[in-house]
Amino acid sequence: MKVLQRLRSPLGLSIFIFIVIAAFVIWKGREAPELAGFSVEQVATALFIGLAIGALYALYATGIVVVYTTTGIFNFSQAAVAAFCAFLYWQLRVDWHWAALPALGVVILIVAPLIGLILDRLIMRKLEDAPFVIQLLVTVGVMYFILIGIGQIWPQKTPRKLPAFYGTKSFDIGPVNLTYHRAIVLLVAIVVAVALRLLFRSRRGVSMRAVVDNRSLAALTGAKPDRVSSAAWAIGSMLAATAGILIAPELELDPANLNSVLVFAFAAAVLGQLRSLPLALAGALFLGVSRQFLITFLKFGGDWTFARDGVAPVVLLLAVLALPQSRLQVGRVTRNLKPIERTTRVWEAALGGVVLIVLFLALSGGWLNFGIWDPGAWNEIGLNRARVALATAFIGMSLVPLTGWAGQLNFAPMAFAGWGAYLHLRFALAGEGETVSVFWLLFVGLLSAPLGALVALVASRLSGLYLALASIAFLELMASLFFPHPAAGFRGVHKFKPFDVVGIDLATRRQFMMLLVVLLVIAIIVLTALRRSRYGRRWVAMHNSEAAAATVGIGVASTKVIVYAVSAAMAGIGGALYGTANGSVDATRTFILDTSIPIVLLMAIGGMAYPIAALFTTFQVLFQALEARLEDAGAPSWLLGIVTFFRLFGPGLGAIGMVVNQRGAAFETGRQNARYLPWRQDAKAEYAATKAKGREPEIGELGLCRPFAAADVVALDRKLGVADDLAPGRHRQGRVEGAGVVVAGS
Amino acid sequence: MTRKSWAGALMALALVATACGRDTATAPVQETSAQPPAESASPTAAPEPVASAPAGGDTTVAETAAPPVTDADPCAGVTLEESDIGVSADTITVLVMADVGSELAPGLFQGSIDGAKAWAENVNANGGIGCRQVELLEWDSKINPTEGTNGYLEACSKALAMVGSTTLFIPPEAITSLETCPNKAGEPVGFADIPERAVDSLHQCSTHVFTLAGINGSCPYAGTGERTYEGFLGPFKKYTEMAGAPLHGIYMVPSDLPSTIASSMPTIRTLNQEGLVVSDGEFGVSGGAEQAAFAEYVAAMKTAGSNIGINGGNDQAMIKLRTEAKAQGLDESGILWACSLACYTDSFRENPNVDGTYLWLPFLPFEERAEQADLDTFLTAMGTDFPQSWSVLAWNSGRVFEQAVNAIVAADGPNGITRARILEEVAKVTAFDNGGWLGSVDLSQKSLSSCFVMLQLNGGSFERVYPAEVGTLDCDASNKAIWTGDSLTEFKG
Repeated sequence: MKVLQRLRSPLGLSIFIFIVIAAFVIWKGREAPELAGFSVEQVATALFIGLAIGALYALYATGIVVVYTTTGIFNFSQAAVAAFCAFLYWQLRVDWHWAALPALGVVILIVAPLIGLILDRLIMRKLEDAPFVIQLLVTVGVMYFILIGIGQIWPQKTPRKLPAFYGTKSFDIGPVNLTYHRAIVLLVAIVVAVALRLLFRSRRGVSMRAVVDNRSLAALTGAKPDRVSSAAWAIGSMLAATAGILIAPELELDPANLNSVLVFAFAAAVLGQLRSLPLALAGALFLGVSRQFLITFLKFGGDWTFARDGVAPVVLLLAVLALPQSRLQVGRVTRNLKPIERTTRVWEAALGGVVLIVLFLALSGGWLNFGIWDPGAWNEIGLNRARVALATAFIGMSLVPLTGWAGQLNFAPMAFAGWGAYLHLRFALAGEGETVSVFWLLFVGLLSAPLGALVALVASRLSGLYLALASIAFLELMASLFFPHPAAGFRGVHKFKPFDVVGIDLATRRQFMMLLVVLLVIAIIVLTALRRSRYGRRWVAMHNSEAAAATVGIGVASTKVIVYAVSAAMAGIGGALYGTANGSVDATRTFILDTSIPIVLLMAIGGMAYPIAALFTTFQVLFQALEARLEDAGAPSWLLGIVTFFRLFGPGLGAIGMVVNQRGAAFETGRQNARYLPWRQDAKAEYAATKAKGREPEIGELGLCRPFAAADVVALDRKLGVADDLAPGRHRQGRVEGAGVVVAGS
Repeated sequence: MTRKSWAGALMALALVATACGRDTATAPVQETSAQPPAESASPTAAPEPVASAPAGGDTTVAETAAPPVTDADPCAGVTLEESDIGVSADTITVLVMADVGSELAPGLFQGSIDGAKAWAENVNANGGIGCRQVELLEWDSKINPTEGTNGYLEACSKALAMVGSTTLFIPPEAITSLETCPNKAGEPVGFADIPERAVDSLHQCSTHVFTLAGINGSCPYAGTGERTYEGFLGPFKKYTEMAGAPLHGIYMVPSDLPSTIASSMPTIRTLNQEGLVVSDGEFGVSGGAEQAAFAEYVAAMKTAGSNIGINGGNDQAMIKLRTEAKAQGLDESGILWACSLACYTDSFRENPNVDGTYLWLPFLPFEERAEQADLDTFLTAMGTDFPQSWSVLAWNSGRVFEQAVNAIVAADGPNGITRARILEEVAKVTAFDNGGWLGSVDLSQKSLSSCFVMLQLNGGSFERVYPAEVGTLDCDASNKAIWTGDSLTEFKG
């Protein structure tokens, strides 16, 4: 037991991982005599190079830890800010031929802190009370916005190279040549870690950490939460800029490359338990050295060519599973309680489904003519795009029960989708026929569910950020170890056969698209029924408070297993549909983080708790189609420019928009428009009440130097959301509204 | 976030650029005209034939027989008709597709679009082809299989053929569309695709694909298992001669995509098999690898005392290797740094760390524009002295198409231009060299020529090393050799 307990410390875990890696190296080395060998020079070179690379990860990880410890926000956009600053430095230093010092000064001391301050003042400060999922996804949105911005400002037509400091000049350390640039990197990483460690141990540093635990309490003791928050974001951005400028000479200057260190940075930050800067530094160095030793002394070839990319995910997964979670989020439980909502009836979902089917039939068939513009029937390209978009929507919908209702943040829907596609390819498509029965999808779902259950069992003790990071590690592992392996069947030439329903072939694009619409509608109805079932209620209860759910007799572990299984089954079916929509699957590009995160992001923008939000995952395709239509129709360039801008930046902006609309567009649309439905008198009344509430004066406007009338008391009660003992007649209304009852329209 | 797929994509192309042709050693080099017949209906400037100057038995010179010249105007007195999809009374529509507009990597293979566009503009400025103007549709496949399929669907509905495309991911559905697309009469004849190069094995092996870059593997191929490949040896024979000793060194394999590995390994194994290079190490290079990762390769070279460093990846991989070699203090005297067309880029040329690198091209370099008329026309049309290399074969794909159209017009008149006839005529092109600019290519066999020219980067400019005479290529049949094996499992990492 003691051994196990020691493993739950960063040092113990690092030693354990290192022993495992060393054993693996020796074992593989014994098997492969063709390996280059274990000369002292090679070992020393791998060690120093690994340390230099690890120091780069450390700079990223340090920035993440600083922001997390002082604001409670885990910043996904750290590497994107780094990339932006690296590009800006290139612009000044290389393109405009500035000297190094002024260029560094402008980027690290002026622009980077400015970016941090802007992020803090305009976005992050408004997320203080937001649920953790929203906080995280907003930073993902910022990441996308910045990365796409870089691509537009600095197109990648020709590669850019940022020169290393002091070029290739180096000095000897024993048998190893260490460049000045790498020595600087190591030095900067150590200095930064030490300086920040000293800062955090100072009075100011303690107050910085106090702010994240309880902002109001910290303010009472003299801390200035707003300043602390601004300082943290400014420091985080400066560290990002430093990291970006130092790593860029090692890579080609392109946004995807510069953002790719994120998983390593996450792993290092988690090894530092998201709070310890020295441990984060040590974790990063350990990661760099481990990776370098692995790629130097192990040969990943043949079937396992992409396994080398699994190093960071393995460490990340082990770290989040083995290390104790740094902070219980007790303080947020009450703030994150979801208001009670009206849930959609099954018949309402069915009615909506029929509308959806008719809409797709009408639009794709060209039945609609808008008078001034007849869009006509969708051509084969439109149908092809619609098929892929609808299959993606199906995968996105798998997040509704898991994340939307049960609160289990999952960045890996594409891992389950890939598994489903594999099962479909492996079993259903092995037959002789030209088509495959649509009922095979049920088997795909059934066979996908156990993977979800397995993940739930492994991740049962995780929640919040750790769960999100574990899902990233899981997807990366699947993407590096399983999907590119020949056993998955995606490497060679393969073809997903079209479906048939009871012997009727659905081989044309239009037929398959309509099949997808029908399947999507069925899924919406099933999910609606599930949400209204006791399972749905349990999932929501678990989301609100696992502890409270447990006290009323809900088996949290079994509930998690069930919801993961349901989600995996849906994503698995979605994966099979996705493969069929594309005709085939590319082993290295389809089921990866790059395709998975946008789905999560768009689902969140749409409203993760609402099945209909899955249609938001079709956003890109819709805008692409609109762009093409407008272009064909000879639309003015400014209009095309606007559409293109929203196609590119829409997801990022939408995610940032969650700062003000945290429950998603589907919820807002429903709240605004449910009153128009004839059977929704409740929505009509609620809307009227909300408007009346909006017209009432603010508390400060009620006036303190005049006698309070009864109406003032009621208004004040409403604002404060408390029961009114003085006005018994108003008691019920005041309390209900105060609790924030809102009526969801969807 | 994960693997740098677009960087891998670049490497894929770089790799395929190195993996030359599938011509067999027994296939004779046919020196028929690569140019469209220089009739009055085809006013495109015909390239000047290059003077033949064989320098020894193993060096041949690309020579173009002058096309037959007729005085009759095939357009005169003919009422032009809409003879097929993509052919109207006044225009011939073709489509070029390339991975350009990926959000994170915009402009990736813009060179293909630019090359095809320059060709179309040049043709139109000179009176058009088939008695009509060329309308070029551009399609951005965005490194996205769905958009790759959509490009073929667009061509199916609007274009007579596709020219000059560079698309990495082409699903089976796209190939189905290519091969069974109905013509004007509704017959599923498909249409011709004359891409800049074909990367995917399914695309390579399609009966409707005719690529100037050739393919290095046999067809049909299921995508896994053994395949017969051709490896290109020509430059390495010369390197051995220059080194004056057996070559042994490291080989960098672009390993971001299975297709890049599959294309790279046959070259290495052929070199091993023919005893030209002994491997001191074969290293998988990721497009997103840090320069520090290359220290391992440098260490391997130091340990083994290698005399050659071969890059199968893109120019950035070579830049990182050589920069790291300098950082690690590797004694570079006596080491020969070898690269392919992938290093023939502006950014490579401008990097002082890679000075002295050798590279080989399957066409005459831009620096010799004065030696070849169509090369000069091309560079003038592109508006630059050093365009992206993808544009070269894109332009020449247009020339192949032009040749097919002119042959149809000569045989059947301008109303005989149909998809089926284009397919027939392109398949008849057994030796295309565009007046000696390219090594001769047998499109019917999907083979590439055995020709190359070797350059060396010297003080910021590429200088011809071999063959010594400007305007010539080494086209010895023994520049290629056969190797059979499973290229994916051959890669040991």
